[in-house]
Amino acid sequence: MADTRPALDPPPVPPSGWEEYAFSLLVIVVVTAASLILPESYYLSVGLIYLLAIILLCLRVGRGPVLLAGVLGAFAWEYIFIPPHFSFAINSLQDSLLFGTYFVVSLVVGQLTAQIRAQSQNDRLREQRATALLHLTRALAEAKTLDEAVGAALRQTDELFGAQTSLALTDETYASLFPHPASSYSLEGKERATAEWVFRHQSNAGRFTDTPQASAGCYLPLVCDNKTHGVLGVKVRPDVTLTLAQKDLLEAFARQLALSVEREHLRAASEREKLLAESEKLHRALFDSVSHELRTPLAIINASADSLAGADQNLRGQLVNELRTAVRRLNRLVGNLLNQSRLESGTLKPRLDWCDAGDIVNAAVENTSDALAGHPLAIAVPEDMPPVRADFTLTEYVLANLLLNAANHTPPATPVFLAAGLEPGGRRMFFTVADRGPGFSPAMRGRLFKKFIQDDATATAGLGLGLSIVRGFVVAQGGEVVAGENPGGGALITVYLPHPPPKAGTQA
Amino acid sequence: MTTSHPSRLLIVDDEVQIRRLLRVALEAENYEVHEAASGQLGLSEAAGVHPDGVVLDLGLPDLDGREVLRRLREWSQVPVLVLTVRDGEEDKIAALDAGADDYLTKPFSRRELLARLRAVLRRTQPSSEETIVRFSDVEIDFAARIVRRAGTEVKLTAKEYDLLRYLAQHRGRVVTHQQILRELWGANAEDSTHYLRVYMTHLRQKLEPEPRAPKFLQTESGVGYRLVDS
Repeated sequence: MADTRPALDPPPVPPSGWEEYAFSLLVIVVVTAASLILPESYYLSVGLIYLLAIILLCLRVGRGPVLLAGVLGAFAWEYIFIPPHFSFAINSLQDSLLFGTYFVVSLVVGQLTAQIRAQSQNDRLREQRATALLHLTRALAEAKTLDEAVGAALRQTDELFGAQTSLALTDETYASLFPHPASSYSLEGKERATAEWVFRHQSNAGRFTDTPQASAGCYLPLVCDNKTHGVLGVKVRPDVTLTLAQKDLLEAFARQLALSVEREHLRAASEREKLLAESEKLHRALFDSVSHELRTPLAIINASADSLAGADQNLRGQLVNELRTAVRRLNRLVGNLLNQSRLESGTLKPRLDWCDAGDIVNAAVENTSDALAGHPLAIAVPEDMPPVRADFTLTEYVLANLLLNAANHTPPATPVFLAAGLEPGGRRMFFTVADRGPGFSPAMRGRLFKKFIQDDATATAGLGLGLSIVRGFVVAQGGEVVAGENPGGGALITVYLPHPPPKAGTQA
Repeated sequence: MTTSHPSRLLIVDDEVQIRRLLRVALEAENYEVHEAASGQLGLSEAAGVHPDGVVLDLGLPDLDGREVLRRLREWSQVPVLVLTVRDGEEDKIAALDAGADDYLTKPFSRRELLARLRAVLRRTQPSSEETIVRFSDVEIDFAARIVRRAGTEVKLTAKEYDLLRYLAQHRGRVVTHQQILRELWGANAEDSTHYLRVYMTHLRQKLEPEPRAPKFLQTESGVGYRLVDS
């Protein structure tokens, strides 16, 4: 029978088996036999020996066997030892008193034994229950996610009750139940129906409850703050029953689980709220800067077009230049917005091919020549630089954005540096763009590559999308971007790209 | 362009403002301009007027530009210059593969438009059988397989010469990496761009006034190369 017993020691006082009664009988028989060798006049001492045997028996057996031993001992003593021998008659008052006292003492001892045993049994049970709850609480507290917590709780329930457990949780609407994947049996048919009933009525149902249903499992609602967060189901083997203490423990488990689920719900709700506020802020910032960035060149185009009508030859040339600059600026802005959404939609797939680093540099410089006007640009690309593996367009975009940043965030006429090369060892290639501007403040450095980030102190133009796109494009190509300090002052940004050896075997 | 009979051009674009601006720019250069506002109209117009060149917008409301191109190519080899709003090179390469002769990314300048048009129209003109091509101070003599720079012969390897000749035959027009690789290395060498880069660097070192900032042997971002002769 022992193997079907749930792991938690079940009944508070296990009823004594026939073995204990047999043991008591044996003890009395042995004591009786041993006492027969004593002289007849020692019959009073024999009574004490019986009493000693009974008290010793208390340590081993339950109330029933002790009482049996007491009664048997009394009769054996009276019948065999107390004169007249082999009769139930008692001659003297003293013997009667002794016999009566012996009888009462053995009864009281039996009763006390039972109480003590029950007490210690209870203590053990309480301790087990406290330990189980402690383990559960700890598991719930240590879990980083609700799924992890629930998983830990269910496995512990499995183990503790030697049962299969199932959990169904509800969502924010509290409308329906969704089985949790950590369940060790699936809620179907009658089980599901009972769980639904429990969910709607906020009360236990199924086996071992006041509301038995057709289901094989026992179902408890996870109630917290009068809200049902889900249903815990426990299915034990049909030949096993749960004791009152186990049911108690199960309910305590359900309460703990409910608390944990509720806490998670609250956390998720506050998270959502924070996210919402954040995205609203972002939206407003985006809206403001987009409208500024779009409207400025549009205003320039509009004003230039107006002035063109009556302008003389000289002014006309200037206005046309303004128009061109405004259009380029608009075009770049639109490009950045499109690229950002390309990055965010995850549709960006770099086309890696062998490129001439000098070509990429030239293309980027040409695309930004208007914005860089007035900044002396020093380009350093080694003569013998081998072809590099990159997505030409993305890398060109990266360099153009870095050059634009350098141009926009530095005083006029300060130099800008652009270099390319292979790292020592030749495993990576790099592009470096540096300037002599104010550099990055320490506060900026950490969030430099996030979108819509502008250094408030030097904010001049742009959406703050440039560096976020730079990083996106570089990472997409398997590289990394590092922002640093230009020795001697200014900002320095280095883009690293992997530099694999060219495939051998193709003919030249 | 002042030829005896004006070249007839067909503009297929759904934006009326673009059509108007193109018409102004092209008529000023003595082109005869026809317009179509959709892909279907463009195809029937092309069949009707037999243009010498087509300017085709890829983003049409009724038919995808590439589909228009495919249908047009079923019966016509007319030079096609494609207009696109996207910088993504995939679209450009796809259009070139579908039979476009060159592309222009919106927004574009009038100068670019005219240069591209002249180059794509040259493909069908009889004078394309020329034997000598000049750009900068470089002269390529196809008949003698000789390249001179400022009058002195430049030593080129066979592959370098083939690359230069291919670009010169398509001068003014973009040629994709794949086209060059197929032409120079055969059908199975389409991933040998590494070598192509190296040959291009050599060519530039031998022919460009400033090899690090090439003016004539230009790179088309992610698409290919273009020999610009002016």
